[in-house]
Amino acid sequence: MEDDDEMMNQAANTQTLASVDPNAVENRYVVNANQGQTSLYVPSTTGSEAASWNMYRVENHSAESGSFSNSTYHHVQHSEPSSRTVQDGSNATSLATSSSLGGTNTQPDYGGYTSYSNSAGTYSHGSAGYQGYYSGYQQQPNPSYSQPVGAYQNTGAPYQPISSFQNTGSYAGPTSYSSTYYNPGDYQTAGGYPSSSYTHQTTTWNGSNYANYTTQQYSNYTQDSSGAYAAGNAGANSLHYQQHYKQWADYYNQTEVSCAPGTENLSVASTSTQLPQVSQVPGVSGGYPTSNSQAPTTFAPPWRPESSSSQTPLLQPGATVTGAYDSYRTHGAPSFQNQHPSPVQPHFVKPLESKSSYGNFQEQQKTACPQLPNLQYPVAQQAPQNYQPPMQTVQSLETQRVSKLQIQTNPRIASNLPLGLSKLDKEGPNNSAIAKPAYISVSLPKSSEKVLSNDAADTVLKAGVFPKSLKSYVQRALALCKDEKQSAACQEIMKEIITKATSDGTIHTRDWDAEPLFPIPNTDMTDKNNSQNSTPVSLFSKYKKSPTRRTKSRWEPLEEKSVDKLGSLNNYAAKYSSRVPLDEKDRKPIGASSEGKTDVMKKIRFPQMEQKSASKTVQRQAKRQRLADASAADNGDASSDSDKEQNLTAYYSGAIALANTPEERKRRENRSKRFEKVQGNRAESNHFKAKNAGTGNLYARRTSALVLSKSFEDGGNRAVEDIDWDALTVRGTCQEIEKRYLRLTSAPDPSTVRPEEVLEKALLMVQNSQKNYFYKCDQLKSIRQDLTVQRIRNHLTVKVYEAHARFALEVGDLPEYNQCQSQLKILYAEGIEGCHMEFAAYNLLCVIMHSNNNRDLLSSMSRLSAEAKKDQAVQHALAVRAAVTSGNYVLFFRLYKTAPNLNSCLMDLYVEKMRYKAVSCMSRSYRPQVPVSYIAQVLGFSSGVLTNEGSDEKESDGLEDCVDWLKTHGACLVVDSNGEMQLDAKASSSTLYMPDPEDAVAHGDSSLAVNDFLTRTSS
Amino acid sequence: MAYPSMGEAHRRITDYLNKFGDAVSYQDVASLAQLFSFSSNSPSLLSLADALNFFQDANRLIKQSDKFSQFGEILAPLFRSLQSYRLGNLVEAYHAFEKFANAFIQEFRNWESAWALQALYVIAYEIRVLAERADRELSSNGKSPEKLKGAGSFLMKVFGVLAGKGPKRVGALYVTCQLFKIYFKLGTVHLCRSVIRSIETARIFDFEEFPRRDKVTYMYYTGRLEVFNENFPAADHKLSYALTHCNPLREANIRMILKYLIPVKLSLGILPKTCLLEKYNLLEYNDVVQALTRGDLRLLRHALQEHEDQFLRSGVYLVLEKLELQVYQRLVKKIYFIQKQKDPGKAHQLKLEVIVKALKWLEMDMDLDEVECIMTILIYKNLVKGYFAHKSKVVVLSKQDPFPKLNGKPVNS
Repeated sequence: MEDDDEMMNQAANTQTLASVDPNAVENRYVVNANQGQTSLYVPSTTGSEAASWNMYRVENHSAESGSFSNSTYHHVQHSEPSSRTVQDGSNATSLATSSSLGGTNTQPDYGGYTSYSNSAGTYSHGSAGYQGYYSGYQQQPNPSYSQPVGAYQNTGAPYQPISSFQNTGSYAGPTSYSSTYYNPGDYQTAGGYPSSSYTHQTTTWNGSNYANYTTQQYSNYTQDSSGAYAAGNAGANSLHYQQHYKQWADYYNQTEVSCAPGTENLSVASTSTQLPQVSQVPGVSGGYPTSNSQAPTTFAPPWRPESSSSQTPLLQPGATVTGAYDSYRTHGAPSFQNQHPSPVQPHFVKPLESKSSYGNFQEQQKTACPQLPNLQYPVAQQAPQNYQPPMQTVQSLETQRVSKLQIQTNPRIASNLPLGLSKLDKEGPNNSAIAKPAYISVSLPKSSEKVLSNDAADTVLKAGVFPKSLKSYVQRALALCKDEKQSAACQEIMKEIITKATSDGTIHTRDWDAEPLFPIPNTDMTDKNNSQNSTPVSLFSKYKKSPTRRTKSRWEPLEEKSVDKLGSLNNYAAKYSSRVPLDEKDRKPIGASSEGKTDVMKKIRFPQMEQKSASKTVQRQAKRQRLADASAADNGDASSDSDKEQNLTAYYSGAIALANTPEERKRRENRSKRFEKVQGNRAESNHFKAKNAGTGNLYARRTSALVLSKSFEDGGNRAVEDIDWDALTVRGTCQEIEKRYLRLTSAPDPSTVRPEEVLEKALLMVQNSQKNYFYKCDQLKSIRQDLTVQRIRNHLTVKVYEAHARFALEVGDLPEYNQCQSQLKILYAEGIEGCHMEFAAYNLLCVIMHSNNNRDLLSSMSRLSAEAKKDQAVQHALAVRAAVTSGNYVLFFRLYKTAPNLNSCLMDLYVEKMRYKAVSCMSRSYRPQVPVSYIAQVLGFSSGVLTNEGSDEKESDGLEDCVDWLKTHGACLVVDSNGEMQLDAKASSSTLYMPDPEDAVAHGDSSLAVNDFLTRTSS
Repeated sequence: MAYPSMGEAHRRITDYLNKFGDAVSYQDVASLAQLFSFSSNSPSLLSLADALNFFQDANRLIKQSDKFSQFGEILAPLFRSLQSYRLGNLVEAYHAFEKFANAFIQEFRNWESAWALQALYVIAYEIRVLAERADRELSSNGKSPEKLKGAGSFLMKVFGVLAGKGPKRVGALYVTCQLFKIYFKLGTVHLCRSVIRSIETARIFDFEEFPRRDKVTYMYYTGRLEVFNENFPAADHKLSYALTHCNPLREANIRMILKYLIPVKLSLGILPKTCLLEKYNLLEYNDVVQALTRGDLRLLRHALQEHEDQFLRSGVYLVLEKLELQVYQRLVKKIYFIQKQKDPGKAHQLKLEVIVKALKWLEMDMDLDEVECIMTILIYKNLVKGYFAHKSKVVVLSKQDPFPKLNGKPVNS
């Protein structure tokens, strides 16, 4: 609360300010997340926009949730397309007013912000404007970007509802900017972006569950970035970068803060860091946007100047990173620019600069914080044009505030997402702060991941004293480091983490491995953490959690895309290179100012942190630079990706450790509950509901596993074999027998995975179930999934696959059967007992009936062992084969009637062909007539044997069927003198035809026709 | 093994390098090819390998002179491969050899004339053989054998280099044949299709212009493919081409061709003489032929069962199984002749019961329905001319040529 108050004061004199702050914080968080994402994204290059978007979405969600926590934010939540549009309209107006007004403290501030945000300042906006952006963005996607300004307004609209101040301010800024800045030149590019990039984003977003939020958010982001870019052309870029720097510094501070005793201080620190992050985010987003589409243009200008000199060389280093880097550089000011020519050096320099800037920032913040809102804002307003350092500082301050708020929200949000608990509201005072953290967590994950990785490394260093799990954790983190620098940085981070953990007393309680089935109780932790650590921890945990989840599913695609984007960025950079000089100039001053501010900030917020930060920040910066380099390198270099990811993983693991504190869990749960509403769209929400107290830990585990696996996958260099899958294997705790199948999009949650005993019961239940095939298929799939997830490969696995294969055969669901069959082949090959022969026969029949490939048939026949050939089912299958190849229909239908197991089900699929062949043959060979009763008997229409008098009725039934069948196939039937139906062979020989199957479907597989399938299977 | 002295090793290596340089500059493909032929196990290569293993710094010798350093990309991996080959590390040898081969292809591409084709042949052959051996090594170590696959894709690349216009196209068929060998071994014959299309649709190059040995090999493999497809006339054509053009002294090759040609001919109604089967040790077909001549269904089934594994492996099982209808035809024909001797007037009416009885003597236990079905199939497939009267259960044969001979045409499907 104190923090909040401070924030309030700083942010604005009035309540509006307070409200705004949260928003701003949230926005910033989002920004932060974006940054993190961007960095992450960068590696991916191609950018799988969707993936990146996802990340954004997460952030957005967090932001939204944050907003939710805040009353004002509710609007944001509403931020459905329609509502948003409406809001947008209002926002726009409010924005306009705010921009024009400037009279109120907030408005002026905003104006300044806006200028910042617009120019470079999406970040500055980030604090206030960002939120606006977010909301606006979210909405924007729906509206479509045709009008950049309008889009901004839209973003603003959501904000307004939340906090008039921020929204207006942000909006005003954007609007004003848009009018001025955008129109000028950047806008052209921006305009282009909106259409292309925006559409892309929206589409991608829509696709995902998060789609609504994410899209909006994304759009917002993109817009922000674009806006920032537009501004960025001149000073905005530089500003953003500076902010980024600050953010990074703040980040570090925040992390430290979390450990720090003073919650308030911590929160402040976090905010400050967040802000930097936010600012970074913009930069990142800018970088991303470029990659995506929007960003490229907007970013391109800012970047190009900077990057053009350095980027071309550096480009690889970092598509995503580059964005950040550039921002850093720009912020960092001239020195960075100089460095640009030599990529490596620049990076290093940047860290140093960032440090300095950090110090400055902190100092500035300290001083400014109380006053800052007012002062800074005015400054900011001025800044837009000149981009003076003061402006930046203001922004940073604002952002910092925002970040604080956001951080709190974020944890909650994050918790909400995973757990779906609803305690946030209850927390009340904390809500703003906490809720924000949640958001942050969402957004942070990405950015935080990097940081965390470093932290993890630090912990590693100290591991000797600590639990084995921690050691292994450290080892893992270190293992990810490719070069000495990284490992050194990693170690530093790990040290920090461990020190924090020790100070918190969580070292032993944390689930370092993230794998242990039963996380250590949190209660111990809570007491210690409650006052000071709770918020920071929560933030971390949240970050870690939410990011990990999302990262998994979304990351991979993103990275790929990011590369492409980088390329585009490069191009852009080249184009805009001419502008660079200007940007650099602007940036330099800004960077200086920012630095000063950062120092202030640190002092104020992070007393403890500062001490550490002096050395650590430098190190961290260096790390970050490396990360950026790595990301930049990603363009051409796979290895760079792995580096990043390594860091990320380390970061995650650190975050996870933090996340396990009891408070965090509670918050998360609350948040998650809240989120359930939001997530209504998500099918996965069920999975996320945490029922057990241990969920937090489980989540952490999962996330860590995910991260690990992820990093391994992406790392390329690291073989999958190097992963200790045994340690990562989930062991389920779910006791419910029935479970719906849902394709996993993230690491499995042990609480939703059933252990083997339960699965056995589930199989029995399904086998005895009277429900239709769909139900059984669904249940069996979920059983199979649980088996796979837990890597259970034994007789039960075989039983499940066999059962499923049989059910599938019964209804003729060949695709599903084939899946099971191929799995069974592998399982049998592993020597697991089962109905091997039965399925060998099925396999043989399948080849005979459905592939006209003699080679396949020969090879599967030659694979049969002598023992198998003695098996009744296999012999039957072989006999069927002989009947089919020789066209012996009599034999075929006799075999059909004596088929063991489900062989007849497979033969069913060939009956029609066989009958047609048989009748063709008959009509050619018989003269003059053939009795239909004979045909019915020979071709399996009648089930009984002719001589059996008791089956007269059946025979007549078969006869009718046969007549029908013959008629539909064009046979000529005549009735002879005895009244017996006869097939006129000669006449029929020319009139037989194969009718189009009644259930013919365009895609050629009638079994896929839903209606038909339903009629066959639902009974 | 006696290690050579340092000077000796140095001399051998420079000697080899000089040979290589001379062969390239004089375009002496014969000596060039010799330098690559690992599998020949020639003493000079073996001693070179020893020298290389002793004299570890062969790369320095390559780089010493401009003459060789321009071929460093080729020679360095070649040396490495030879070293590993000598040490029995075949996987390593394969890796280095593939590198060498790639470098050589690069160089070969730049030579306008096709003078080095022979050397390329050697490389294509060596890489395949080496890959097979490396795979054996891999699978004995429990790893998945994948080198042959890799060699396949490398040869595809080589094929791409050769398949265009110009004098190098002559070499395309050799590479194709190596590819066939790989694909048949791997069981991925579907991959042959693209190569075949490229060979058979090319108008710029007459097939007859390819070297004879390549043509024979190519026809053999494509003939086998046609056997799989049960396209007997085409298979007959291709395999007969291979048989008539192959070196008559290479009995092993002839036997390989006959192994597929005989079943093809059988299904076309052409039976081999026993002496042919004896000469080429193809007696597994003897019973089949006997069954066809006698109409002895039991003998056919027995023969198929006896040699089932063999026939399944070579892929002719299904072809031979289809001869069953011809055996039935022969059997019915025999019954017809007997009836004709007894009662020429009613000879064309074959009672189903008689056929069932005949089958019973052959220990084929079939009831009326089944035999009726077989008779309808025989009529349907035009192995018997006539019709079946269901009411009286009698096969009524045409009075004119009731049992048409196939005479080189496949059984009507």
